[in-house]
Amino acid sequence: MFENIYPQLIGLCAGALLLTSALMVWRHSLLASIRLLALQGIALAALVAVIGIAEGEPELVLVSLLILSVKGIGLPWVLAYQSKASIKQIQESPRLNPTAALLTVTLLTILSYIVVSRVFGLGDSSTGHAAPIGLAMVLIGFLLLISRRRARSQLIGFLLLDNGIATITFLTSGGVPILLEFAFSLDVLLVVLILHVFASRMRTKFGGTAVDQLRELHD
Amino acid sequence: MSGIGAGLLLQLGLGALAVLTALTAAPSLRSRAVGTLCTLIAVTGFLTGLGAMLGATGGLRIFIVLPIDPLLLAPDRLGGLFMLIVSGVGVLVSLYSMSSTRGPDASRTAWVAMPMFLVGMQLVPAATDSVSFLLALEIMTLGSTVLLLADHAGRATVASAGIWYSAMSQLSFFFILAGFAVLAAASGGTSFTNLQAIEPVPANVAFVLLLLGFGGKAELVPLHVWVPRVLPEAPSHVSAAMSGAMVKIGVYGGLLVSVRLLPDGPAWWGIAIMVVGGASALYGILQASVSSDLKVLLAYSTTENMGLVFLALGASMLLRGYDAQAAADAALVAALLLAVSHAAFKSTLFLGAGAIIHATGERNLDRLGGLGARMPVTAAAFGIASLGAAAIPITSGFVAEWMLLQSLIHGGRLDGAVVSVAASVAMPLAVAVIALTAGLALLTFVKAYGIAFLARPRSAEAAEAHEVPPLMRLSLVLGALFVLALGLLPGPIAALVAHSVSANPSAAVQSVGLGGVSLPGIGAVLDPIMLVVLSVPVAIPVIVSIIVSARRYPHRTVALPWGGGGSRARPRMQYTATSYAEPLVRVFDDVLKPSRDVQVTHVAESRYLVERVRVEQRVSDVFETRLYRPVLTLFQRYGIVVRHIANGSIHRYLSYSFVALLIVLIVVSL
Repeated sequence: MFENIYPQLIGLCAGALLLTSALMVWRHSLLASIRLLALQGIALAALVAVIGIAEGEPELVLVSLLILSVKGIGLPWVLAYQSKASIKQIQESPRLNPTAALLTVTLLTILSYIVVSRVFGLGDSSTGHAAPIGLAMVLIGFLLLISRRRARSQLIGFLLLDNGIATITFLTSGGVPILLEFAFSLDVLLVVLILHVFASRMRTKFGGTAVDQLRELHD
Repeated sequence: MSGIGAGLLLQLGLGALAVLTALTAAPSLRSRAVGTLCTLIAVTGFLTGLGAMLGATGGLRIFIVLPIDPLLLAPDRLGGLFMLIVSGVGVLVSLYSMSSTRGPDASRTAWVAMPMFLVGMQLVPAATDSVSFLLALEIMTLGSTVLLLADHAGRATVASAGIWYSAMSQLSFFFILAGFAVLAAASGGTSFTNLQAIEPVPANVAFVLLLLGFGGKAELVPLHVWVPRVLPEAPSHVSAAMSGAMVKIGVYGGLLVSVRLLPDGPAWWGIAIMVVGGASALYGILQASVSSDLKVLLAYSTTENMGLVFLALGASMLLRGYDAQAAADAALVAALLLAVSHAAFKSTLFLGAGAIIHATGERNLDRLGGLGARMPVTAAAFGIASLGAAAIPITSGFVAEWMLLQSLIHGGRLDGAVVSVAASVAMPLAVAVIALTAGLALLTFVKAYGIAFLARPRSAEAAEAHEVPPLMRLSLVLGALFVLALGLLPGPIAALVAHSVSANPSAAVQSVGLGGVSLPGIGAVLDPIMLVVLSVPVAIPVIVSIIVSARRYPHRTVALPWGGGGSRARPRMQYTATSYAEPLVRVFDDVLKPSRDVQVTHVAESRYLVERVRVEQRVSDVFETRLYRPVLTLFQRYGIVVRHIANGSIHRYLSYSFVALLIVLIVVSL
């Protein structure tokens, strides 16, 4: 029973990951991006849980709980930690218009499928077939980093990139030891907290967090 | 753990303790406390080096996770000798700095850097693999850079010197790193024992790279341009450590390459080193002889001395290639003795210059004078060290140059037959270079001592000079005693030094008579004490006749016939450093390219009457203006173009890495 729906579950989770990534490029509102990030965290946790159950490793289920708490709840909550009224008004004016951005996302996804199939081979397993999604997420995260002006939108790109790396890890090798995973998650959480504080400082000092206006270096 | 290992560990421990003390001690105690610890570091290094030089083995292994040969600090005899030289200078400098430092030179940062500098310098000769060698070298460079920059806020020239120093020391480091990398790639290891025995092509490439690198560390032409900026601007005790000890690391590197790593090179290696050394010696002493800034003079003189060391090293390599083993060993021992004696006299000279600056605040010779009567101890120490620098008998410099000349004169022939055309051309030329260098060195140090310490003060500051504190005097006297000891007892010292490079030391150098030195392979003997004893019978009649004539014709005061009782010579009528060197500037006009500026101000009423004449003469460094400036201008021009690529926008930088990632992905999937 489970063996039959296992490939479909993997495909569903991977599809959700890719869809949320593409939507993050499309949507300009910060609040929407954060919600999509939370959805993506949940999808990633679900993916890990499915792999864990299929391979009979209780450790992976634990990891999936960890991912759910950090990436699905913790990080989005930290990012949205501000009055809802003000966050709704934050609209990104990206350096790339939505049509061009979505087209680029398509190209990047195709590229990652080509790269993975040519370099590593897709293999027979359903996880192997989904592996290019991880690379696509990394590339889309990078795209977000270079196309967004605001510091916090860039932070979302960074987190998307991190999710992509995690996806590749789980799909290709069944995850890293739990201790390492725990350390990575805490690391990312710390980075986000620091950058968040940094962004608030920037806002109070310069009145905005548009990074592309910061060009000069000072002592 | 062996004694050597314990000594190395103790140096590291004391270094860490000194850094901690520098960070935490109260400003009033800092110089004394950290200076004492630095002295202890240097003494430990001295004893460790002595042990290693006498043949004790053992070492300190540093555990790392990288998959390379283990990092092992275990000085051999040669390493022990250089550890001894470096830490000997370290003792003098540490003692001196305890009471000489003040203001920014005594800041917390400077005192943190001092133990780093000393420990780094002492560990370089102990390294037995390229990684720990480079590591210690970088610690040394970092420490010295920080020490140099101590007073960067007070003087703009210090900041400029710091930039030159950083750039040039990193250039040298790059060459050394590249040279070791070539050797490691060709031999498949990083330990010095693995780096030997490789194919000719990588050996040639590595030799040139390492020569450039160590030549830069040893201040050889044309990589010497940092010297006349850095050594004068650094605090004097740091200049003494840099010139007395740090440049010896360059010499050690040269010996490491030519004796240990690549011992059987082709003849052109020796000739190349001789050419570079000879050019450095001539150019260095020429610049020194016309300089009127005391510390610039000493800095250029360092280039000269290191040039002589490399000349001796090159001659030894050339002679060894032709199987003239005795002469080759003598030249190599001469190179080591030159290095040892230079460490002794140059650190004393720089410390003496520091004492002059301490007392008068001046380092321009044209504004000094008459310090002999006001600072007798400094004057005596500086005088003895000047004798050493000018290679006058009974000092250390003489013995070393004598030995070098002996090996060059006798080296071209083996059992009466000429060994090769190259050697029979190179050796006489080298003798000529040394002769000219020695003559100019004599002139230079007569000027340095005479203008600074004799005659009348040329400025108010010089007239009000006072002797320096006891600890500074102590280190000056110790340095001067070293210079004399090395000159009076060359035999035992040369025999000891020969052990570190020669397989059969007693065939190369022997100690004879009262501490005299003998070169059995060449058949030359020098016994300074015996010479002194023999000269006494000659001197006694002269002294007696002087005393007798002084009694017979008592001293008369001669006044100017039309002087109205005024004095004949005012301070301004004396020779100055500039006027003393003026004939030299004329003779070597084509090499030195001096620029002169004469401004005559006339009296307002009549243009036939002169109110004042102002003469300014600048001698710039030819290598800097002709070689470095064009390159720097070129870099600057391209730098402005390149600035558009890196305009400070974070998005642009991120785009670069994104595009690079995409390109890599596309390339690997093709």
